[in-house]
Amino acid sequence: MSSRSARSRTTIAAVAALALSMGVAACSSSADGGQGDGKSLTYWSMWKVGEPQQKVIAAAITDFEKQTGIKVNAQWQGRSNLQKLVPALNTNAVPDLVDGPYIKAYPALVATNQALGLKAAYATDVDGKPASSFVPEKYLKTINIKLPDGQPWMLPYQIQSDAIWFNGAEHPELKANPPKTWDEFVTDLDKVKAKGAEAPIAADGDVAGYNAAWISTLVVRNGGPGSLMKIAEDKTGQAWKAPEALDAAKKVEQLVKGGYFINGYSASKFPLQQQQWAVNKAAFMFNGSWLPTESSTYSAKGFDYQSFPFPTTGTHDSMRVDFSGFMVPKKASNAEAAQKFAAFFLGKKYQDMYGTEAKGIPVRDDAAASPQLAGVQAAIKSATSYHQQNDGVAFPGYNEKVFWPASDKLFLGKMSAQQFVDAMATDQAAYWKAQGK
Amino acid sequence: MSVEARERPSDAVNAPRSKPRKRGRETNGTLSQQRRKLLIPFVGPALTFYVVLFIIPTGAAVWISLHNWAGSGPMTWTGLSNYTALFQDELFKKSLWNTLLLLVVVGVVMFVLSFAMTLVLRDMAGRKIARSIIFFPHLINALVYGVLAGFLFNPGGLVNTLLKPFGVTEPPQWLAQDNLFPLIMLTLTFMTTGYYTTILMAGVDRIPPYYYEDCAMAGANAWQRLRYVILPLTWDVFGVCAVLWTISSVKIFEIVWIFGGSSGSGIPPTQTWTAAVYTYATAFSGESLPAYGAATASAIISLALVTVLVVLIRRVMRRDVIEF
Repeated sequence: MSSRSARSRTTIAAVAALALSMGVAACSSSADGGQGDGKSLTYWSMWKVGEPQQKVIAAAITDFEKQTGIKVNAQWQGRSNLQKLVPALNTNAVPDLVDGPYIKAYPALVATNQALGLKAAYATDVDGKPASSFVPEKYLKTINIKLPDGQPWMLPYQIQSDAIWFNGAEHPELKANPPKTWDEFVTDLDKVKAKGAEAPIAADGDVAGYNAAWISTLVVRNGGPGSLMKIAEDKTGQAWKAPEALDAAKKVEQLVKGGYFINGYSASKFPLQQQQWAVNKAAFMFNGSWLPTESSTYSAKGFDYQSFPFPTTGTHDSMRVDFSGFMVPKKASNAEAAQKFAAFFLGKKYQDMYGTEAKGIPVRDDAAASPQLAGVQAAIKSATSYHQQNDGVAFPGYNEKVFWPASDKLFLGKMSAQQFVDAMATDQAAYWKAQGK
Repeated sequence: MSVEARERPSDAVNAPRSKPRKRGRETNGTLSQQRRKLLIPFVGPALTFYVVLFIIPTGAAVWISLHNWAGSGPMTWTGLSNYTALFQDELFKKSLWNTLLLLVVVGVVMFVLSFAMTLVLRDMAGRKIARSIIFFPHLINALVYGVLAGFLFNPGGLVNTLLKPFGVTEPPQWLAQDNLFPLIMLTLTFMTTGYYTTILMAGVDRIPPYYYEDCAMAGANAWQRLRYVILPLTWDVFGVCAVLWTISSVKIFEIVWIFGGSSGSGIPPTQTWTAAVYTYATAFSGESLPAYGAATASAIISLALVTVLVVLIRRVMRRDVIEF
């Protein structure tokens, strides 16, 4: 008996060892490895073939290849490109260039210490000036895209912002005189409500990120850029009980209790309420600068996209600026060529195309804008301070497991403002404790 | 089980009856020697694939679960703290509870329905067509149900429109966060009942008709026929179905993801999370730092849960296989 089982044990062990070595070999052989020749680069794009943004980048690639002789192998992967990048960074088959928004790029590349400093890209000559001159310094005061050594890790090419949107054709009075403060905004909401033809505000309550934008923007309005980050960093959670946070929650509560949100917003599926807004069933919608593109296919005839910045509650009037741009992983074998292309795309020609054809907000403030976004673009240009989506808060699981569940309850009317700040204080303390802090 | 049962007679033939057998298959016959020689070529390739594709990744997952890791870059050893943190996390406990709810509640309802349908369909005219129709919901991608949910249950959706003529002016908020999970359970039952009905029916169809004839002659009623013929003869099929359902229910993910989070463009509300959704959101939420250590720890706990449950089910359902 013993000899038999010993033999089979050896067999199994041998097979297992063989398998193990095969596995290891498979892992290492997938690697591309080595230094590139600088004549080509691989680009994993956040855009998919056929999207207007993709067409603009593809046009730039064609020109770039002609002018420099560097071949760009573009892989149009779509929005999951950075999620795919994370496991790829453990191999040697790493793309030379990737793009994406700050909120996804930071966790994927920077927090893991895999992002290359882009000094060379920023120094590259674009239309006779260094590329750095097109990323205005005033953004960088509150939006940190720098590595510890001071080099930026992203070269942004577009900005996403937000606004309160309305149909200018239906509300010429708002177009002429948009509300600036919270009180003026609420007065306008009351006017819409009194008329009764449409709901004051449309909101897709099943998108947690959209719901949270209300409370997080209000906190930033009360305390300035960085104030939500400070509250979220508090290990005891007690920071939520500060007046600026409680007041922000009370303002959300005011909208909920005041019945300003469209009927059924708490039990519908995206994009139903956005569609309702686009056919004039509601007057306002607080949403990103992508809303005109996203809703253009179903909006009412003659819809005139107009917007104003989120109302102020005091002195803070920062504009949301979320960069999307190019990043180069440290492991990239053609980093130099990648940085060259990243800078090339900041050329006026492509930035103009990005504004007019892709209907995005180009990072260069001298670039052309699409008429629908002209308002947002002008507000960004004239603003003096800036904040990011969620005020840049991206601790592991914090938004999904702590902040969004509570903000959903506040926004959907399941919690009062006081209950919300109490819940945040408790849950956040538990969160930081679980993180071992 | 049945394989072993069939092997035994051949063993018995090879083994001299007078010698007491120490173990089932330890015999001196040439056949078993031959068998042993064939072990490597036959088992080897499968074992290799199994080790490469399952054992190594599982081992790696256990290793990762003992660290803090953002998916790439530096790993820091944290020992068992990912596990202790999980068991202190109310959300994880809630997610695990939801998984168990799906497993038990949906499982019981679905098996009762499947069995009832099997009995009804057994001697129904046109049962082949009926069987295909019942199976159909299983073929449809979960995405369709997610989209359909909006179409049916949105405030101005089909269900509310149909309810209006009946004087229901204030219908329930079907898609409110707290109502989503029951809706998911309902949809899952709808999706899977046909699948298990089909498997059970195959088992019931296998029963030779003379047993029923016997029943008829003995004057057994429908209940007795069920109790003494159908149940015992399909018991092993039941066991397999129970194991299959246990394994698949612990992995339920896409239906929750699509039903909740705005058809995939966001993250579903935490009220509907299952252990699999918790694992995914922890590793790949995309909007906060990935926590691969915590995510793999959660996956390992799910794996342990499946293992324990499957072993338990096999024990509870163990019966002597009836050969017929």
